[in-house]
Formats: sequence, structure tokens, C-alpha cells
Amino acid sequence: MKKDYTIEITAENNFSILNRIINVLNRRRVRIKKLIAHEDEHDFRKGGATLLLYTTPEMIEKVKHQLEKLIEVEKAIYTAGSGHYTELSNRTIEVIQ
Amino acid sequence: MDALLTKTKGPSQLSSEPKKKISGSEGLLRCLIAEGIDTLFGYPGGAIMPVYDALYHFSDQLNHILVRHEQGAIHAAQGYARVSGRTGVAMATSGPGASNLITGLSDALIDSTPVVCITGQVAEHLLGTDAFQEMDVINTTLPVTKWSVQITEASSIPSQIAKAFYIARSGRPGPVLIDITKNAQFEMMDEIDYAPCEYIRTYSPKPELDKTKIKQAADLINKAKRPYLLCGQGVLLSNATEELISLAEKGNIPVASTLLGLSGVPTDHPLYVGFLGMHGNYGPNILTNECDVLIAVGMRFDDRVTGNVSKYAKQAKVIHIEIDKAEINKIIKADVDVHADAKEALTELLPLINSGNHTEWLEAFKNAFTKENDTVIQHDYYPVTKELKMGEVIRELSEQTKGDAIVVTDVGQHQMVTSRYFPFKNPKTNVTSGGAGTMGFALPAAIGSKVSQPHQQVVAVIGDGGFQMTIQELGTLMQYKIPVKILLLNNNFLGMVRQWQQLFFESRYSFTEMNNPDFVALAGAYGISAEKVSERENLQDAIKKMLKHEGPYLLEVVVAKEENVFPMVPSGAGVGDVLLEIGSE
Repeated sequence: MKKDYTIEITAENNFSILNRIINVLNRRRVRIKKLIAHEDEHDFRKGGATLLLYTTPEMIEKVKHQLEKLIEVEKAIYTAGSGHYTELSNRTIEVIQ
Repeated sequence: MDALLTKTKGPSQLSSEPKKKISGSEGLLRCLIAEGIDTLFGYPGGAIMPVYDALYHFSDQLNHILVRHEQGAIHAAQGYARVSGRTGVAMATSGPGASNLITGLSDALIDSTPVVCITGQVAEHLLGTDAFQEMDVINTTLPVTKWSVQITEASSIPSQIAKAFYIARSGRPGPVLIDITKNAQFEMMDEIDYAPCEYIRTYSPKPELDKTKIKQAADLINKAKRPYLLCGQGVLLSNATEELISLAEKGNIPVASTLLGLSGVPTDHPLYVGFLGMHGNYGPNILTNECDVLIAVGMRFDDRVTGNVSKYAKQAKVIHIEIDKAEINKIIKADVDVHADAKEALTELLPLINSGNHTEWLEAFKNAFTKENDTVIQHDYYPVTKELKMGEVIRELSEQTKGDAIVVTDVGQHQMVTSRYFPFKNPKTNVTSGGAGTMGFALPAAIGSKVSQPHQQVVAVIGDGGFQMTIQELGTLMQYKIPVKILLLNNNFLGMVRQWQQLFFESRYSFTEMNNPDFVALAGAYGISAEKVSERENLQDAIKKMLKHEGPYLLEVVVAKEENVFPMVPSGAGVGDVLLEIGSE
């Protein structure tokens, strides 16, 4: 049964990291509903992305491990629902502004 | 920047003496030498020319093998890595040079092979301008590399090379690609004090062993009535063959092998029961669905092993020992998941295992083997047909080598027949393309294997289809006189596809029959000795002659056009539905 998941990824801010993350999702045909990506406000060498995904409980668990397998990804943490995404994206937008 | 995120060991960086300046290209080669690399497989071109120019002065320290196509370079590097456990290195230019590596990258990724590829790139100011032979190699290769990076300044070369080798060989090994812009190759940099990388903040290649999981695994094994051990390539990669065999012996547990796990257990070991998968042995497949505890070590439950997963080992408790966390619970749910290096986990597990006595269970494997032997194997070994069969050719090769050879196979029927019948004796003597199923793999991989292990006999068993996909590497054999023995099993068909067409597409042989060239004459054009055999009475002497020949050699054996490989788990069927012959149940 598919539903919304918010996944928060922290990573090195290297060229191509966003592509690597998206590749993991695209290859498994995981639908991306929303996405926000950013540099760390204190250290430009680090960054992160928060995504709102629509998928199954089995797939989100597999995707988490595939993302954490990427060399530059530090961790990928997910929660069910979109509430956490809204909260995180609002906070990120505030920081950027 | 990178030094803050990775830890290196080595000489102090604080010397007050001014350092000699060298080019980025020379710096790269010095890094490779410092990493212990002595062999490169490559092909030059415009964007990698500064590196090749520097290489001119390093020929006493770096043995460069000029292949005939970049795909040949990476497969050779894979062969080199697979038989030695060292990291293979391939080099290519930008654009098509780099894109020709992609098949090999994909192959090395799925088959966990440590390879570092170095590609030249147009100068930084030309990136994104559609310059001549410019291609976005980083984004093109993202899905088929363990890691990749583009270097645009010479000073980054040492730290990125160090990272590349660390990532390629550690954890679950895999391919890494380094793309170096031409300006960085020309640019001058300080002479380096190379420091190998040993830490990356976001990368944990060595999982911490959870001893409670080991205890749980031991409890399951000790209580099992019908335990069954599966040996994957992870056993070979972590040099854990002795530990695996000790576990089997202590618990009296039958052990089967995946395609890439072959050579992990000597095939004449009394507890070795055979080869798993679509064309594996009968017992190892069918009894998967009768075991009560399945112990999978260093494997990823590929669909060619499991068949239909909804019919795979449903009755069994599964212990999965695996270094790649993403592989655990990916296909088969583990009752005990041991996220660990195979050697470390098996070493910890061994003292907890009680002596087992599974006589009846082992007898079931013997009975299954007898059935397979009577129905399939003896007919393959000693056919009554006029035409030669692949099985008898591999039997003859096996008898003459006594399993004491590195065997490199391509992809298709010959690969399955060789995997079923060759008596692997020593670890890391089976080189084949497993997950990717790359036709054309064997000839260049055999070149890399032989360059790596010059004192071992290397036999490349290849079909006529795959041979013609990288046949240009005969030129590499010729130039360097690399004494690879090519055993070409020629049925003038794409045999495995034809078999599927016969079984599942009502014998509509759609574009699988091949009109082949005169392979002996072709080898002759490359100065390679060759012979063609189509009569049974000449086979033994022909193989003897091939094995004794001092240089490279091609033996073409003409085999039956329409031979099928059995047993077979049909696509979509479960391992319990394995067929011994057409129409069997």
C-alpha cells in the first residue's frame, strides 16, 4: 500500500550528489512529490535534501539502505506522512531567505 | 578541503624544503605506483595524452597493456582483480573512450570487482561547451560506479586517487571512475608525499559485528535437522574459504555455491553438493525447498539463484551473512541478519557450532546427484551422438588440467556447462560475468588474469557469439604474446537464446543462427597458433596440444548445433520446479 513518506538525507555537498540520490529513486520508480535541497548553512562542504516520496513501506526501507550505500551520503532518515516534510522545508526556506 | 573529510596516513606534510614541481600527469602515475599498482590496461586518445606522455618515462615501473578497445581494458582489469584480489586499473580517453567502459563498469559493480578507471576529459574551460570528445562521463556512469569524481586541478589528484583506491577495494568492492580534465593533467603541482586514504566520514565499509546475531545464528544451526550452507563470492572476497569449509565440516553441513562463489569450496570436498541456480545442479536447487536452516554467506540472492522468490525456501529459517547492508532483506527476508564481513562472522561463529550429524540429509543430496548423473551428466560426458557435446569437452579439459587452472568463461551455454563440470580446486580460479551477463567478457578478462598470474594456466572457454564481441583483443594477445588458451565452443548459434526459443517460443529461431568466419585463419592472421576439431577421436590430443603450447592458442571445437543445457529452472518457476530434461517434472 503506497503512502507519503518524508525522507531527510544528509550528505557531502559534492557535484552530482543530487543526481546520485535521484538515480536511486528513479531506478526503482519511486514517485517524488516534492523536493528541497540545500547547502549546510554553517559548512558549504556539507548539504542535504528532503524529499516527499510516495511509495510502499517495503520500498522506502530498501531505498533508505540504497541511499546510505552512496559514498557521500551520511544518513537517510524517513518518517511516514508529509507533515515532517512541510516542517523541514519551511525551516529550510527560512534559512535560505 | 578533502583533507578535512578524509584521514590519511603517511609522511608529514610540514616539510620546510621547497618541493619539486611535477605535472598532474606525473603526479597521477606516482600515486598509482605508491598504491602498489604495476599494471595498467588502457587505450590513449586526445584528452588523456598528457598522462600517456608521462607514462613514456615510467615504463620501467608501470606495465601498460595496450588493448584494442576500452571495453577490453576494463574487462582485463576485472580479470586481473578477480584472480589476485588486487585493484585493477583501466585508462581511457574522454567521450567514446569513456563510454566504452560502461559495460565493464556495470559488470564490475554487480560482480563486486575492485577496479579504478581513469578517464581523460576536455579542459575545464571547455566543460559544457560540446567540445570535441566531450561527454558528461560522471553523470553517464553514476548508476554503474561505486563512486566517481571529476578532478579539475592537479593538486587534488593525490587525495582523490587515495580515496578512489580505498573505496574500490574496501567493504563490498566495486568500480570507481576518476575523470581528469586535460588542464589538470598539464598543470604543475608539488611533488607528492602520497598518503593512502583510510577513512571517509560518510563511508563505513567495515560493519561492526553484532555478536548477539552470531549467537542467534549458532543456535539456529545447532538446532537444525537439515542445515544448508550457500557460498557466495563474498567468501572469496574476504578470503574466508577456510572458515567456510571449517563451518561445513564442524556442523556436517552440505554446501553449495553460487556462480561467482565457485572455487570457494573444492568441488571434490565431500560436503560440496554443487552449483546453484537456473542451470545449477539438481539437488542444490530442489533441496533448497527442503532445508530447515539456510545459511547464505556473501551472496545477494540473485534471481538466477532463487527463481520465483515466492517459492524459494519458504519452509526455512534464513541466516544471511553479508557485508552490504542494502542486500540484506532486499530479496529474501532474513530471520537472522548478520551485517558483517564473511571472514569475521564465520570466525566468530565457528567456536559456537556443535558437531552435527546430518546423515539422512546428506544422503538426500547424494540421491539427487545420482538422479542427475544418470539423467544428464553421463549423457553430457559420454554422448552417443556423432557430434561433440560441450559437456565432454569440459570433461576432457577437467581431466587434463585436474582442476589446476584459472578458467575464464564468457556468457551462455558454455558458461553454464563449464560452471557445472569444471573441478575447481583453488580459490579465485573461476572468472566469469555473473550479474551483468556480459558477452565478450572472457577474452579480455583472461588477458588480465594471465597478466596477473603468469605462472598459472589460464583457459578462456568462450562461445562463438561472445568471442566475436571482443575478438579484437586477439591483437593484444599477439602484441604481448600473452599465453592465454582459448577454448572456443562453436555451435554456430547463440546457443542459450536458441535454447529458450526452442523451449518457450515454439522453436522460432529468430536471428540466433550465425554464419561464422574461419576462426583458425583469423587467429593465424594475428600470428596465433590454432586448430579446429570436430571429431571425437581428435579432442583429447587437441586439448593436450593446446595446454602444452607455450604461447597464446586457439582451439576451436565444433559442437552440436542444437544442444540444451539441463537441469533448468524455467524463468518464473521455483527452484523446486527444476527440470532434468524437456518435459520432466
